[in-house]
Amino acid sequence: MRAPLAPPTTALVAEVVDLHVGFTRNGRQVEAVRGLDLQVRAGEVLGLVGESGSGKSVLSLALLGLLPEASQPRTRGVVRVAGIDMLTASPQVRRQVRRDTLGAVFQDPMTSLNPTMRIGRQVAEAAGSGAEALRLLRAVGIPDPERRLGSFPHELSGGLRQRVMIAMAVAGHPALVVADEPTTALDVTVQAQVLALVRRLRDDIGCSVLLITHDLGVAAQVADRVAVMYAGRLAEVGPTAAVLQAPSHPYTVGLMKSRLSLTTDRHRPVQALRGGAPDPADVPPGCGYAPRCPLAMDPCSQTVPDPLPVGTSAHLRACLAEPSRVQDLALTAAPVTAATAVPAQRVDAGWAARVGGIEKTFRVKAGRGRKATLSALRRVSLDVREGESVAIVGESGSGKSTLLRVLAGLEQHERGEVELGRGGRPQMVFQDAGASLTPWLTVGELLDERLRTEGLPRQERRTRALAALAKVGLPEAVYGARASELSGGQRQRVALARATVVPPEVLLCDEPTSALDVSLAATVLNLVQQLRRELGMAVVFVTHDLSVARIVADRIAVMYLGRIVELGDAEEVIRSPKHPYTKALLAAVPDFGVAPPALKGEPASPLSPPTGCAFHPRCPLAVPDCAQPSLDVGLERLRVGADLLLDADSRRVACIRPKEL
Amino acid sequence: MLILVAKRLTAVVLILLALTAVLFALEQTSTSDPIKTMLGPGASQALVAQKRAELGLDDPIAAQYARYVTDLVHGDLGTSYRTRRAVSADIATFLPATLELALFGLVTAVLLAVAFAVATTLRWPGAGAFRLLLMVGASAPAFLLAIGGIVVFYRELGWLPATGRTDFVDAPTGPTGLLTVDALVHGRPAVLGDALQHLLLPGLAIAVGPAVSIGRVLRSSLVTTLRTDYTRTARAKGLREVEVMRKHVLRNSIGPALSMTGLQVGLMFAGVLVVELIFAWPGLGQYTAQSIPVDDFPAIAGVMLLLGVAYVLINTVVDLLQAAADPRIEA
Repeated sequence: MRAPLAPPTTALVAEVVDLHVGFTRNGRQVEAVRGLDLQVRAGEVLGLVGESGSGKSVLSLALLGLLPEASQPRTRGVVRVAGIDMLTASPQVRRQVRRDTLGAVFQDPMTSLNPTMRIGRQVAEAAGSGAEALRLLRAVGIPDPERRLGSFPHELSGGLRQRVMIAMAVAGHPALVVADEPTTALDVTVQAQVLALVRRLRDDIGCSVLLITHDLGVAAQVADRVAVMYAGRLAEVGPTAAVLQAPSHPYTVGLMKSRLSLTTDRHRPVQALRGGAPDPADVPPGCGYAPRCPLAMDPCSQTVPDPLPVGTSAHLRACLAEPSRVQDLALTAAPVTAATAVPAQRVDAGWAARVGGIEKTFRVKAGRGRKATLSALRRVSLDVREGESVAIVGESGSGKSTLLRVLAGLEQHERGEVELGRGGRPQMVFQDAGASLTPWLTVGELLDERLRTEGLPRQERRTRALAALAKVGLPEAVYGARASELSGGQRQRVALARATVVPPEVLLCDEPTSALDVSLAATVLNLVQQLRRELGMAVVFVTHDLSVARIVADRIAVMYLGRIVELGDAEEVIRSPKHPYTKALLAAVPDFGVAPPALKGEPASPLSPPTGCAFHPRCPLAVPDCAQPSLDVGLERLRVGADLLLDADSRRVACIRPKEL
Repeated sequence: MLILVAKRLTAVVLILLALTAVLFALEQTSTSDPIKTMLGPGASQALVAQKRAELGLDDPIAAQYARYVTDLVHGDLGTSYRTRRAVSADIATFLPATLELALFGLVTAVLLAVAFAVATTLRWPGAGAFRLLLMVGASAPAFLLAIGGIVVFYRELGWLPATGRTDFVDAPTGPTGLLTVDALVHGRPAVLGDALQHLLLPGLAIAVGPAVSIGRVLRSSLVTTLRTDYTRTARAKGLREVEVMRKHVLRNSIGPALSMTGLQVGLMFAGVLVVELIFAWPGLGQYTAQSIPVDDFPAIAGVMLLLGVAYVLINTVVDLLQAAADPRIEA
């Protein structure tokens, strides 16, 4: 039984019929796409949502006719673009389709542009002429485009580079632009700008956009229709509003629930999908989601469900469970248990770590043989109390990771003091767990290394190591495994076990969840909270994601260009942000609903921070005084005259216009 | 870029100064006595003393070194004890033959390397056999290859000559001293063909080893570049595969291969000197080989200095080429 085709009145720019794609990876047969039907209609933005391994990027490569030959792809079905089957057409014909009909935007603008070719030439290759390249750069909102034509990619910020990619993608008026995670590598305020640009270009040019993303919130902002993929098949597709308001597949429900938002309940563990995504080399015969599905029934493990209409013919879902049961699932929440609530922070607690007036600069190459000074931290002060969790939030270049590294003693600072409490050296967990575990050591040896400093006998060390693994929810078998044999989520657990096997007084986390899928990120966040509670550690958690910060932290410090601009109780900062930058960051968090107002401009370079308050060029409240070079704006309580504006004693804001905040 | 050039040239001067110091120190500590070499063992005390004073060997070390460097700057490499001619004049006589062989070897090595890298990367038919052949060749030292080449192509097959630069007694000797170029200048294709035949065996003997080193580096950077996101971007634009290779892949792959070429040139010099002996090639290798047994220090030092200058200059050029190929490289 095949899914009904889209209404014949709507023209299709691309059509995928019963697509199967398999690869040979390390000698194993991997099924990346397993029977996918999808239509992209003329002029629509179709959001394709899925986690890693769902087959969404393979689909984008199949549409472009660029499946990697080195992986020996085996394909079945039809991928029709402009009447051409991109699976069977000759390389020349596929190339012509890419040239005339398709445009592509890839995830990482840092690596997707040729580093040795000037921007102008790269755009002109797609646009046909230098004049058209200039017009396109102007159309995608690149400031001073004449000058940028002669720039090399490394001279541009990430946001500008992604605009260049988009300019190349829309060159020659393509019928379809395939955008594979176009905003994942960007800062949140820049992400909002790029999403707005994608939507505006669609309106101007009338092309269709296939927007591939792992974040349902991103798709919700710009897509007309949303398709959800799981394990190489379509779980659900329909108009954005219908899918978000009445998700009809348990996986969509799970995705929505494990997605953190600014309103997620802080006092329950984050809801995580149970289990992990299926191994694409060994997918179960029935519905791929059945092993993790709370509604799974006997037939689910045998029968592969086809996408069938729910209500309107525009909304399809591939699930055997009754729609009403899925609806019920969406409404139930995880129970609150006393054990999971984060303990209120002790008021009388002493401090576990404190930094005062830290300054840190780096000498960097500035081109033409000159060196420049990058001010990573500019007089930063912060106290972390015993058992407290502090989140440091900021965009790239804000100095948040440098501050963490100064705390860890991994980086020498020029001025200011770092004091640690009784617990001694803090332990650190990094973003890329795979790269932070020595590849030739077993997990047991990694843990043993930490325990040996304690001078324990061998047997005792082994017992402690196994206990630490149990604490992070890993089986004993992991003790003898190496990092390469573990999944991403398991590696991050090992990193946590290594950091806590000898409980430190302070645990430092540098974006430990940002490389993980939504559902895995949720489990790691829960784990950090649980370890903090059980071991009584203070946690300093660096993240660019305010919704993550809100979940893990008692207090939030917002950083911009090497300074803390706002500091306060986590819930309070999110509920009533004061500093204009905090407000902009919050507004840019993608969520279900209308597109956020994009903050103007890009984060300024820490190589030459603007004078006065570094935020003033982007600030809606800026007055000429804000740019005064003599202005040194520090964290202050909000007061007008003698009156404190906020009751909360903890709130501090760095702004010279407290009355307007 | 100008700043980069200036910086590199300063570095060249410093390195060469260091090289002269090393050569000078070697000469000072050498156990051989230049006066004895010059005058013979039976010379009288008075004659020796007079000659020492004449050559300034009684002056303070610093003054001797200063004079050495000053002479070098003026192109004076001293006088060979053996030939009794200016070393610079000797070098001018023997250099062209060596230069021709080295250049031929270098060009051959680069061509073989590119063919090796592209053929194996793009899996051209026959690439495997070609690769095997090169690897076997590269695993033998240059002198062994040279001898093997002579045995097979000269003695057994009789296809190629085994000694010298030319069979013509009236071969042109000017204006460049490079026989192939001079043959073209004088319009004598027969001499050119003969010179190339003579170059083939010694040229290949010194080229195969460097070719494999350069080729492997180039191959691995080609493979890496073909997998990059920007190569995918270039393909997504709908560029022809030839354009993708030429405009995006090759230029971004060339950096490491350039470095390796610069390093291999040094090894190639050593190879040339040895191979010249086997093929009776009238170049600097012969000259050096004859100078060493008689302790002709000025001659040996002159050749060493020349090779040092060439090595440093070539690697400086490589650095500058890399900077030109990749705008991210800054001084």
